[in-house]
Amino acid sequence: MKNIVNYINSISIRLLIFGTMTSILLIGCTNLEEEVFSEVTEESFVPADSDIVAVMASAYTPLRYVMGWQGLFDVQEEPADMIVTPTRPNGWDDGGTYKRMHFHEWDNTQWQPRNTWITCFNGINSVNRVILQIESGELPVSEEQFVAIIAEMRALRALYYSILVDTHGNVPIISNYGDELPVQSTRNEVYEFIVSELTDVIPTLSTEVDQSTYGRMTRYAAYHVLARIYLNAEVYTGTPQWEKCIEACNEVINSGQYTLSDSYSNIFSTNNDTNPELVFAIPYDQIYAQGWNAHMKMLLPDHRYVFDMESQPWGGSSCNPQFIDSYDPNDKRMEDTWLMGDQLDANDGSVVMTLVKEMPSIYDCEFTEGFRCGKYEIEPGATGSLSNDFPLLRYTDILMMKAESLLRTGQSEAAAQLVTEVRMRSFDDPAEATVTGAELEGDTTVQYGTLAEDGSIADAGNQTPVPYGRFLDELGWEFAAEARRRTDLIRFGVYQTKNWYNHTPKGDHTILFPIGLEEMNTNSNLQQNPGY
Amino acid sequence: MEQINLSIRANNGICFFRKKTVYALFFLFFSFTSFAQQLVKGTVKDEQGIPIAGASVSEKNTSNGVVTDFDGNYQLTTSTENPIITVSYIGFQVSEVRVAGQATINVILKEDLQELDEVVVIGYGTQKKADVTSAVASVKSEDFVQGNVKDAAQLIQGKVAGLTVSAPSGDPTAGSQIKLRGLASLTGGTAPLVLVDGVPGSLGTVAPEDIESISVLKDGSATAIYGTRGTNGVIIITTKKGNFNAQPTIEYNGYSSLSTIANKLDFMDASDLREKWNEGYEFNGANLQDYGADTDWLDEITRNAYSQVHNMIFRGGNESTNLTASLNYRDIEGIFLKSDNKKYTGRVSVNHAMFDNKLKTNIGFIVSEQKFNALGDGTSFNSYIYRQALIRNPTEPVLDEEGRWFERDVYFYDNPVGYIQETLGENKYRNVRFDASMSYDFSKDLTVKGLYTRKGNSNIRGFYETTNHVSTVKYGQGGFASRGTDNYIGNYSQISADYNKSFGNHRVTALLGYNYEDNTNEGFWATNRRFPTDGLTYNDIGRGQGLEEGEAGMSSYKSSDKLMALFARVTYNFDDRYLLMASLRREGSSRFGKDYKWGSFPGISVGWRINEESFMESAEWLDNLKLRAGFGVTGTNAGQNYESLSGLSYGNYFLYDGEWIRELVPTRNANPNLRWEKKEELNFGLDFGFLNDRISGSVDYYSRTTKDALFNYSVPTPPYFYGNILANVAEIKNSGLEFLLNVTPFKTDNFQWTANFTYSTNTNEVVSLSNDEFQLTNDFFDEGYTGEPIQISTHRVQEGQPIGNFFGLKSVDITDDGIWLIETPDGEIIPATESTTEDRQVLGNGLPKSYFSWNNTVRYKNWDFNVNLRGALDYQILNFSRMFYENPTVSYNTLNSAYDEVYGKAVLNDVQRLVSYYVEDGDFLKIDNVTIGYTLPKSALKFTQSFRIYASGLNLATFTGYKGIDPEVNRDRDRASGIVPGNDERDKYPSTRTFSLGINFTL
Repeated sequence: MKNIVNYINSISIRLLIFGTMTSILLIGCTNLEEEVFSEVTEESFVPADSDIVAVMASAYTPLRYVMGWQGLFDVQEEPADMIVTPTRPNGWDDGGTYKRMHFHEWDNTQWQPRNTWITCFNGINSVNRVILQIESGELPVSEEQFVAIIAEMRALRALYYSILVDTHGNVPIISNYGDELPVQSTRNEVYEFIVSELTDVIPTLSTEVDQSTYGRMTRYAAYHVLARIYLNAEVYTGTPQWEKCIEACNEVINSGQYTLSDSYSNIFSTNNDTNPELVFAIPYDQIYAQGWNAHMKMLLPDHRYVFDMESQPWGGSSCNPQFIDSYDPNDKRMEDTWLMGDQLDANDGSVVMTLVKEMPSIYDCEFTEGFRCGKYEIEPGATGSLSNDFPLLRYTDILMMKAESLLRTGQSEAAAQLVTEVRMRSFDDPAEATVTGAELEGDTTVQYGTLAEDGSIADAGNQTPVPYGRFLDELGWEFAAEARRRTDLIRFGVYQTKNWYNHTPKGDHTILFPIGLEEMNTNSNLQQNPGY
Repeated sequence: MEQINLSIRANNGICFFRKKTVYALFFLFFSFTSFAQQLVKGTVKDEQGIPIAGASVSEKNTSNGVVTDFDGNYQLTTSTENPIITVSYIGFQVSEVRVAGQATINVILKEDLQELDEVVVIGYGTQKKADVTSAVASVKSEDFVQGNVKDAAQLIQGKVAGLTVSAPSGDPTAGSQIKLRGLASLTGGTAPLVLVDGVPGSLGTVAPEDIESISVLKDGSATAIYGTRGTNGVIIITTKKGNFNAQPTIEYNGYSSLSTIANKLDFMDASDLREKWNEGYEFNGANLQDYGADTDWLDEITRNAYSQVHNMIFRGGNESTNLTASLNYRDIEGIFLKSDNKKYTGRVSVNHAMFDNKLKTNIGFIVSEQKFNALGDGTSFNSYIYRQALIRNPTEPVLDEEGRWFERDVYFYDNPVGYIQETLGENKYRNVRFDASMSYDFSKDLTVKGLYTRKGNSNIRGFYETTNHVSTVKYGQGGFASRGTDNYIGNYSQISADYNKSFGNHRVTALLGYNYEDNTNEGFWATNRRFPTDGLTYNDIGRGQGLEEGEAGMSSYKSSDKLMALFARVTYNFDDRYLLMASLRREGSSRFGKDYKWGSFPGISVGWRINEESFMESAEWLDNLKLRAGFGVTGTNAGQNYESLSGLSYGNYFLYDGEWIRELVPTRNANPNLRWEKKEELNFGLDFGFLNDRISGSVDYYSRTTKDALFNYSVPTPPYFYGNILANVAEIKNSGLEFLLNVTPFKTDNFQWTANFTYSTNTNEVVSLSNDEFQLTNDFFDEGYTGEPIQISTHRVQEGQPIGNFFGLKSVDITDDGIWLIETPDGEIIPATESTTEDRQVLGNGLPKSYFSWNNTVRYKNWDFNVNLRGALDYQILNFSRMFYENPTVSYNTLNSAYDEVYGKAVLNDVQRLVSYYVEDGDFLKIDNVTIGYTLPKSALKFTQSFRIYASGLNLATFTGYKGIDPEVNRDRDRASGIVPGNDERDKYPSTRTFSLGINFTL
């Protein structure tokens, strides 16, 4: 034992032990590089051909917010005269957010407008990123692809701006890659930007209209967006552009790529992707591309049995009776758009509930009060996410924009011809489908005024005739619940002047939404929109 | 030789030298050089005459030493002239005896009441308490909080000034929350580094009953040696250890407890609600109509929770091997049905001493197994169920006429009993730790130590919602199952050399070391639905048809990180008067950006023991007076793994030419400059002890500045690819005072009362949130979220302001119609309906400005009695329960107080809002832990060495003006909501009151 101790004690062994222990511990222990397993980092990313599409995809996917939770649908319909979301007996009212929309009493924390801002800029930033990645060569593409992708991305960016110019107006134009805080532009400048961008890229955009360009910006989608911008130019800039609107519409019409759908309801069916009037649709899928949950908000819980759904809808939104009353009883679009009366069980045909038109008050409605939107087909087994593609731009709109521009430039008979063409599929009797120029020039048939609980007019408010009001009605009947009513009401001067349901006008400033609190907080260059 | 000033002072029978001048050095060296061997033997006993086994007996100033055998006997051959033998044993005062020719020296050791001779565990070693120059607190097991404690931290709750331990959640799987010296980080939270026997672990690595002592390193000069993990302090847990030459013992400690909800919220019961209907109130939603029953929903889902804990420790050893083995079983019930936590922990530690005790080796294992019910997917209790019990209409029955769960189509409204009964889930965890260490004394001055630990955790989780669960009844899932598993493996190794040298009045120690650590986490998770039967639950997850229908989910991940460091420390003691400690750690982390892989963390502290000065010699009443000053730099590691690298992710699908293709989106920007948060801390302290330490304590002042604090900045895209980047930008200051006082007002043989008082303050300021590279547009950001339907942030973090400010509308009055009247920042009074977000202002702060505690221990004969009081002062709480439910307009059941007149004027008739009316003062005093124990007299014991029986209560009474359940709410950074101290979330698992009855005995 003593020997061993002595042996161990010898200096050389001490050093050996120490050295061995140290080297065992130190081996391989100086490398501080991160080892990546379940992530993709830029360092480890080698783009494949399929990744070019994947990168570009990120610029399109934000569009799915349109029919999503408090998406564009809510922004365009809740403050308008058609859709009302009253408190139901299950207490569902989201803290009064829909009342604030109905009353136009939002502030800069109102989520629906903020959601639009955030989503559109998300899309715009993705577009800018894709362009940068392609221009910098980071994503290797052929010369042909290069030109096509950049044109498509710029057109898509213009589409996002066409939403923002309408909702928030004075937004920053972000198209350069500087690291400065984005600078705010006027609504006029945003309008000019959209027009010049679209005009610039249209000649380069694809003219193919088939599966390969479905859900993508084609030349015709770009003309369609341009036409919409021209149609609302007076609102955006003070100067109308009716002629230019007609020109843009004619480009689409003359292409011969689109026809009116024979069936109105087919446009909104679950498998509507082959419908001939879709100029630009946002593809949704119950599994792959979830996000369409607007139906959950519109249907009432027991519609689960009516449509044999797997999910139970929440409540909620129904149609202002004043708008229902404006329909021609023979207009099939009423039945194609609204769920009315007895709702039958999908399995045994028994009456689950009976919907009535009347809605006493936004503060308190029974479940069955108010007609619900049934325009978008609900397939058996539907979940909280529908597979219907959303027809953001459809050919009927091209015809109606042209008609409105003609109407407003004194060519009311030509306008009436187009409107009649559109109405044909919705009336059994062609005579009833026919309208005249004089009719279209007339006042609206909607009886504006706030409603008392019994449905009578409580406060008629402004009763000045609406110029071309009857045409506005046509837009309402045709495009009901298509996430656009607010824009139409503003263009016809109704939005900021008329009373409806429980709503009274709150002033011209409501035409634009306020810029969100967070957005103001993170960008000191932003000035709040007037009136907020 | 006349200048030699050698004095021997007798003090309670202990003899020791006091060396006053350097000349003594010469004298001693001189005396060592002459040899005179002599055999000395004797017995070492305690004051009761019981032999002490394993006491160390050594000849002073030599390496010559032995330990006593089972009967306390020793034999030692001295080698020097005028030999002095030193006898020491843990917990006893060191005794030094001059041999002076005696052949038999029997030594009686006195129990150590002199704190200064205590050894305190500091980073990578120990230090005599008298030599400590930084802010270090140490609590021994006899001073621990007793009863049903959650984890190691709760053992020292209220015992350490400046360390706040709270248990905001009553969930038996939730740990306690620790905060030391304020919040020093915007994203890093307050969790300290926990070392279990020197190796990073957690507060739950070992059972609380298995812990011998807990040291808390508070200031930066002490924690700098732990580098990037030192900012929030270091908690060093030392487990119960065996001794060489110790008689075998078995210690048992066990208790059973009863827990009840600490406090219930006063929601309307069925008769209250019917009264409201009779008064003509009409409601939407939950309270739409009378369903005829009378159900106490909270009662339906809660219970009296019974728990039991058993702990057994085996200890023993001969002269070369000793062993500790412990087994712990805890079976804890929560107050909610199916809320529980069962855990087994086993620990074995074997020590070997070889080659003249020069080579010491240790091998140890810690294994634990934990199992608890899962009412949420992957979690324990699902607090959504508690919410449902509160807001449910009390006239609804639990079951409908057909015996199914009574359900209604109300928004976010599900039968809580059904929710519990139709959910089956179990989470199982297994933790393993292997320790091996070896140390070798190359000389009496130099020891080299190597240590390696391998740690592993694994878990498997199962979760199933039956077809009677609302997920199917309302949402058509056809049964929902989930299965998940995670695995963690960590390696930790360390090699260090310790050098100790005394020459004359100089005592020097040096430490040099290296440590390496890596961590790898991986996991897998899958979900499925549409099961043909409920019988399979989660055990055959592939049977669900959801897989074929595209409704199944699957995910997996793996990540790893590394940390390595070189560290060094020097301490210097001159004449026991002037003390110095200096340390440096050079540490690198794989998480740091490529331009900042390594950081340096220096610490230095000095001490002056004034009472050892000659001019203080006349002050006999003074035992200790020490001034301390320290400065240290510590860090907080950078966020999550890979934060410095750019990240891309394949996200949502996109329809491309008829095919679904995943989009590729950026998820993170690269930041090569990403690095540790750097905290610089100054600490000044004073330790004192008077009158034989009947009065002792310390005062500390600290000032800490966190620079390069991490925050997620919004950045423009382009040029960045992603809208946020984690960057080191912000600066935060904390300062405060800590005060500790230990007093023994009475001390007789039969009666002793000791009291311990702590008080600490903290002030906090966000100095800056921007630098040249990264800016917030404004000088603030908002944190926290009220949740649906209020949907606004709760806190504002602003430059020049403290962290924890509530930000909302200041309510001052109410209109006759029940609408809030708001005072704007300009002093204007407007109705809330006309207010905007611009009208918000600071409404209070959720972080207490001071904490205090008062712990009393009274011993009377064989009785012992403990009372611990705790409190916090000067802070506010946002009472979410009132904000949501003290409002008659909501569509759910509400608090009875919803019908009280606000400001004595009108019943509220406004939407739910975040207004100052719900921001309440949180100041409280708690009688937290009361224990009464009786130790059987030794004369009554036959087979046991000691036997004690005790009863204990935890969270017994709270004195506060706060109207919620418990004013001790979350004060840390919350993973989901950010820095939101003081938010008393409405769904929080209520805290509990616990009574325990236990016994301890040693065989």
